[in-house]
Amino acid sequence: MNYATLAVGLLAATSLTACANLNPPPVEPETVVEMVAAPEPAPLEVTVHSGDFAEIQQFTTPGGASVWLVSEPSIPILSLQMAWKGGEAADPDGLEGLGDAVAYNMNEGAGDLDSLAFQTRMEELNMSFGCEVSGDWTSCSASMLTDNDEDAMSLIATAFADPRFDEGPFERFRREQQVGLKTRETNPGFLAWRAQSQALYPDHPYARMKTEESVAALTPELAKEQMRKLMVKDRLLVTAVGAVTPEELTPMIDEVIAGLPDTSELPETADIVLPELEPADPIVVDLPQPQTLVQFTGPAMKRDDPDFFTAYVLNYTYGGGGFESRLMQTLRVEQGLTYGIYTGINAGEHIQTWTGSGQTKNESAGDFIKGIKIEMQDFVDNGVTEEELADAKAYLTGSYPLGFDSNAKIAGQMMGVRQDELGIGYFDSRNDMVRAVTLEDVDRVAKEYLDPSSYLFIAVGQPEGITDEEFETEDASVEAAE
Amino acid sequence: MKRNFTGGLVALAVFALPAFADTATVPADSWAPTTFDLDNGMQVVVIPDHRAPVVTHMVWYKVGAVDEAPGKSGIAHLFEHVMFQQTDTLAPGEFDQIVSRNGGQSNAFTSWDYTAYFERVAKEQLGTMMELEADRMVNLVIDDDPEGAFISERDVVKEERRQRIDNNPGVILQEQVLSELWKGHPYEITVIGNMDEVAALTPEDGLNFYHEYYSPENAILVVAGDVTPEEVRTLAEATYGQIVPTGTAHGQRKWTNVPLLTADDEITYSDPKVRQPVWSRYYNGVSNIRTPREAYALEVGLEILGGGMTSRLYQSLVEQQKVAISAASYAWSELHDEGPAVLSASPAPGVSMDDLEAAMMVEVAKALETGFTEAEVVRARNSLAASAIYSRDSQSTMANIFGSTLAMGGTIESVLSYPDDVRSITPEEAIAAVRTIFGPDRHFIEARLLPEEGEN
Repeated sequence: MNYATLAVGLLAATSLTACANLNPPPVEPETVVEMVAAPEPAPLEVTVHSGDFAEIQQFTTPGGASVWLVSEPSIPILSLQMAWKGGEAADPDGLEGLGDAVAYNMNEGAGDLDSLAFQTRMEELNMSFGCEVSGDWTSCSASMLTDNDEDAMSLIATAFADPRFDEGPFERFRREQQVGLKTRETNPGFLAWRAQSQALYPDHPYARMKTEESVAALTPELAKEQMRKLMVKDRLLVTAVGAVTPEELTPMIDEVIAGLPDTSELPETADIVLPELEPADPIVVDLPQPQTLVQFTGPAMKRDDPDFFTAYVLNYTYGGGGFESRLMQTLRVEQGLTYGIYTGINAGEHIQTWTGSGQTKNESAGDFIKGIKIEMQDFVDNGVTEEELADAKAYLTGSYPLGFDSNAKIAGQMMGVRQDELGIGYFDSRNDMVRAVTLEDVDRVAKEYLDPSSYLFIAVGQPEGITDEEFETEDASVEAAE
Repeated sequence: MKRNFTGGLVALAVFALPAFADTATVPADSWAPTTFDLDNGMQVVVIPDHRAPVVTHMVWYKVGAVDEAPGKSGIAHLFEHVMFQQTDTLAPGEFDQIVSRNGGQSNAFTSWDYTAYFERVAKEQLGTMMELEADRMVNLVIDDDPEGAFISERDVVKEERRQRIDNNPGVILQEQVLSELWKGHPYEITVIGNMDEVAALTPEDGLNFYHEYYSPENAILVVAGDVTPEEVRTLAEATYGQIVPTGTAHGQRKWTNVPLLTADDEITYSDPKVRQPVWSRYYNGVSNIRTPREAYALEVGLEILGGGMTSRLYQSLVEQQKVAISAASYAWSELHDEGPAVLSASPAPGVSMDDLEAAMMVEVAKALETGFTEAEVVRARNSLAASAIYSRDSQSTMANIFGSTLAMGGTIESVLSYPDDVRSITPEEAIAAVRTIFGPDRHFIEARLLPEEGEN
């Protein structure tokens, strides 16, 4: 493709739109008969939020699951997402990779079905189900046809209630991990991440890595124990989009979560405070390839910081806006030094960074880094123009509906809002938050956050022209030329 | 390595749509596409999806890397970049600026068989997108300044080539293998082009290419999303409909059957970046467009043989013998001319490439000999057909399916009937397709990706 995808999709403040309590439709007698073995269900209380981008039905199932559902009847499919706060950061020391082991094994057999039988059953149902773990979150997703959604949900229920964690698939997981430990050593993205985490927060759980020893120490028993800590009822968030009603979805969700423990204790994750950096040469990680990956990182702010939205809008002009960003304009369009350069804000709960990256041939790595620094300094010294700010707002607000044109995207958007606790009215207020950003604030935030001398630069490859002496000299001449 | 969504979904569903019992009776509000031609010969396809007030607007040109003149490899792709630069009415950079100010996302891609440009945008902006796209169909300006935009874009493409291919040992090897497989065929050179030939492309090459291929009768408009055919027709007639055909677009494509390999070959590539070996064999495959029935049968057969965790190859090599960490079979059937059918595996620690190869070929031979069970075939073909329903969740996917099919000379009907067609593949057809591809009279190129000597 010609242009890489634009970085879209962060967000901002909370406010509630009007909500309407709807009475549930009367339960048909047949339904009651079918559910004869179950306790009489309490009437489902559904709160409907009719927003600009989605009509969200919010309810808590009798089994205790908090659900956001968008009913979309036009395609006979259902997208389901589940997430629990707590992930890799909860791996005990020496057992790095335990959360991964949990996620990997969730579709590797349950109840009477071994791995092959479970996978075969998913194929027969034309469904997918799988889990993943990140630093702070454990997530599972499923897609299914509404024709057989009850069977699909029953299969998922067995995975949560009675997962097997058999030795066979577990051993395969360990084998794959051992291979992964080797291949990561020539993966530029991984090498850049490792250099960055070692430089900025070496003692934090986020900097820990799987090792041969930690992977070898993992066992099915430990993973099962960890699964019962990661996946519990009281931290569960559910979002769903598809051709179902709340009343249809509720018994299926309750079956799915029935086997989960009510609650668990996980270790607290400490906040990371980034060190103040002195101007320094880039950290070079040697990798024999024709291009150098340049990654540059500085501090950012939390999601609920008053400056978050200002930074988000500024990021468009800086490096988030594809061809409309200054970094892309200068380094790609004008200088032909790269296929693409992008920046983005990570406004995590425990770490906040503002990071950019791009690749250039090894011979031009020095020029590339210099060019990035010159652009950053220009933001610090001169801020942005009224026109740039208006363009940023026009794109960020005008393109927002593009994130809501599929069931899978809407389920994901809702989960993002729930994880960041932005409130059910967020979709409707978000564009107003973008519009409210002022030029004065953008310039202030640029000055505070984009000073290149406080950034960590990492170069992975065999970069030329970035040694101390060479760099200082050329840097001065470029500034003189301007 | 985290693994996410395993299961019955087939990742690569190129032709994938649910079936109609009878297309003639499809209700007007369904997702069935409507098609018509403008007076100047430009075909229009409208795919309704009224879930969100958003449209995907695409223009497909019937030209790709297959059509490049000898020595001019990469011109189709470089030209695609140049299309974003400047027209009689738009200054450099203005195209992207207008799209972005209208809240749109735009991009383009080039394949061997076609070139496509697209904008995703709120539906109110559809007319503006058509104006922009129609403008660059006739009014493109190519900068012939030796220090100018064409030349700097050429440098960008060279960086793109490094990023996509030259940084990645596995892709470097694949480029060499495909070049051998397609030797003598226009697909022989990869889409992005040879570095030396790209470096020598001139603004004049760009201009010639533009005149030869960019004209309404050589283009297809595809709009998916929250619009009606009537709305699209009105907007399209006011924009694209005003363009007079150049008269120089000859419409001749350089497609031709890919000759069968006449001997086995082996290509080995070692690189210090490789830490895990990969073994592959590339055979002559088939094409959905040329021979749909055989292509669908092969798709079903390769799904059973090596399509996922439940497949014969994976179960035997990875699960039972534990000699591999991956084992798969697949085919590239979505090109106009015949692409490869591939067997691929990566060894478990301590297993030699020769032993891995032997284990793979034993399992393939076993499958060829015993054939497939009815249950396996039913499961595979239902998975493929169901992927069509899932495709409907993305208007971009839908626009791509119809656009690519039509740009290669296929029909809307062939897309619509895919689920029924694939469900009708019999066990006999599936095994016959696989037996033909891997038959004793067929040859292959073996590819071995290896760590550098002395490396782990």
